[in-house]
Amino acid sequence: MKELLAIEWLKVKKYTAFKVLAICFIIGVIATNYIVYSFNKNVVSNVPAGGLISFSPYSFDSTWQTTSYVTGFILLLPSLLLLMLFTNEYSYKTHRQNIIDGWSRQQFIDVKFMMGFIFALIATVMVALTALLFGLGSGTSFSIKGIEYLGYFFMKAFSYNLIAILISVLIKRTGFATGVFFIYLGAENIISQMLDVLSMKIKSESGTDIGSIGDYLPMNAADGLLGFPNNSLKTMSKSIMPTDYTWIVFALAIAYMFLFYFWAKRKFVQSDL
Amino acid sequence: MTVLQIDHLSKNYGAIKALNNVSFAVPKGTVFGILGPNGSGKTTLLGIVMDILKATEGTFSWDGQTASNEVRKKIGTLLETPNFYHYMSAEDNLKIAASIKGRGMEDIDHVLRLVNLDQRKNSKFSTFSLGMKQRLAIASTLLGDPDVLVFDEPTNGLDPAGIAEIRELIKELNKKGKTIIMASHILDEVEKVCTHVAIIQKGVLKTVGSVKEVMNTDGTSVNAGTTLIEIAANDNEALQNLIGSLHYISDLTMDENGLSFTCPDTIQSTDINQYCFEKGIVLSRLNVKRKSLETRFLEITGTKSEK
Repeated sequence: MKELLAIEWLKVKKYTAFKVLAICFIIGVIATNYIVYSFNKNVVSNVPAGGLISFSPYSFDSTWQTTSYVTGFILLLPSLLLLMLFTNEYSYKTHRQNIIDGWSRQQFIDVKFMMGFIFALIATVMVALTALLFGLGSGTSFSIKGIEYLGYFFMKAFSYNLIAILISVLIKRTGFATGVFFIYLGAENIISQMLDVLSMKIKSESGTDIGSIGDYLPMNAADGLLGFPNNSLKTMSKSIMPTDYTWIVFALAIAYMFLFYFWAKRKFVQSDL
Repeated sequence: MTVLQIDHLSKNYGAIKALNNVSFAVPKGTVFGILGPNGSGKTTLLGIVMDILKATEGTFSWDGQTASNEVRKKIGTLLETPNFYHYMSAEDNLKIAASIKGRGMEDIDHVLRLVNLDQRKNSKFSTFSLGMKQRLAIASTLLGDPDVLVFDEPTNGLDPAGIAEIRELIKELNKKGKTIIMASHILDEVEKVCTHVAIIQKGVLKTVGSVKEVMNTDGTSVNAGTTLIEIAANDNEALQNLIGSLHYISDLTMDENGLSFTCPDTIQSTDINQYCFEKGIVLSRLNVKRKSLETRFLEITGTKSEK
């Protein structure tokens, strides 16, 4: 695998979009979190009723969760890069050439999954460092409580990357695949919110709590594990909101990841290239 | 010794049979041409033996071994188009190919020099002309000095000088004992460099053998070869009348350059010359032409196909 990754790195490092997106992501992680951080500090806490939701989200122990949640919004960048790198292979027909030159189909797709894993890992390290930076910057003392949210962040990042790989294998054309990726994300979010409303309605009418069923969809499962930290506003609305059955969502998120992995792999290994 | 053995390969795309029960063997040390019109299944065939496409039926083996990536690493292949990363330089692209093949980087400069691209090794692939891309693809196949080379339309996009260079290269490689499998629709190319040929049409193998065998077989009887003869004299009309009376000639035509006809290759050119001289006509031109592969090809593909 080390050799395969070394070759993959040769492809990635010369790619201009890689440099651009990597820089965007690094700046993006710090910038988005800084915006939320300063908005909360300078605006929310100055509003008369702001006290309700103001609880300094970047202090320990909340910082791990807040940074993970906020960074989730720019998590599309690494998966978009992965999608472009993969669909490029199709347009250059280098996916064929790599196999002709002696890689097995298995190796070709495995190294893509590995890249997805590494991208997710790097993003998680970025989040950890940023969480630490803002946590310490907010003057609270270090604590690892809530650090499991980094794990959820990693799951979400890896899950996005797996979807990007699956869409690449299924669609092959860069522009079209990018479009499908975004449209799918948008559509699933809308459906997910409609489902959440539905489950709220069921809860208020019959008292049956079926959970936030919007989180049971493929992309939203990994999303559902990462909410904004609890604040008083969230606590107040709890009675009407469906319960988040974390373990169901967690199990589903893992199951979806396996599904994306095996589907993409099977498709690439078994079909004509 | 057989380098590549193909047994009953078929490939269906829905109802279309891109390859239909094709079997043949490529002997070691040959330049083996796979000849066929566009869309006849040449690239499909090569795609299957390189594990890019899955055969619907049939098997193949390289050097007696079933297909594996280790086997492919020892074969230099150019399939259909030059496939490289557009945003990378020629040298970096070859680094990737060499790494995948498990070869060292020391070959890169050498192969780039062989195809005259050493001056442009730092240029991005996307800035290359079609001919340069093709030459880079050929350079890539030569990495690691493989014993077997597979070329799909190797002279595609090259200028006449480039075509001649590649032909020389192929001949030279063959002299060094390499086996070359070459798909082409350019008959002249196959005729000039190949020792063996397989003719495919609409996915069906029409004939296979050494170039000599293929030229001399018309499907029913062996050695029923014919020769094309071109002659001219001062009075071509009289010559036509004279020659036309001979029972063993056929396809007699006349144009401003003289007459041409075919006769069995048991007839010698001296027989014709002597006959005319005895009848009082002195030939100003006498040209014996071996039957070209093109004629053979058209005979084979034009007469018994599309059933």
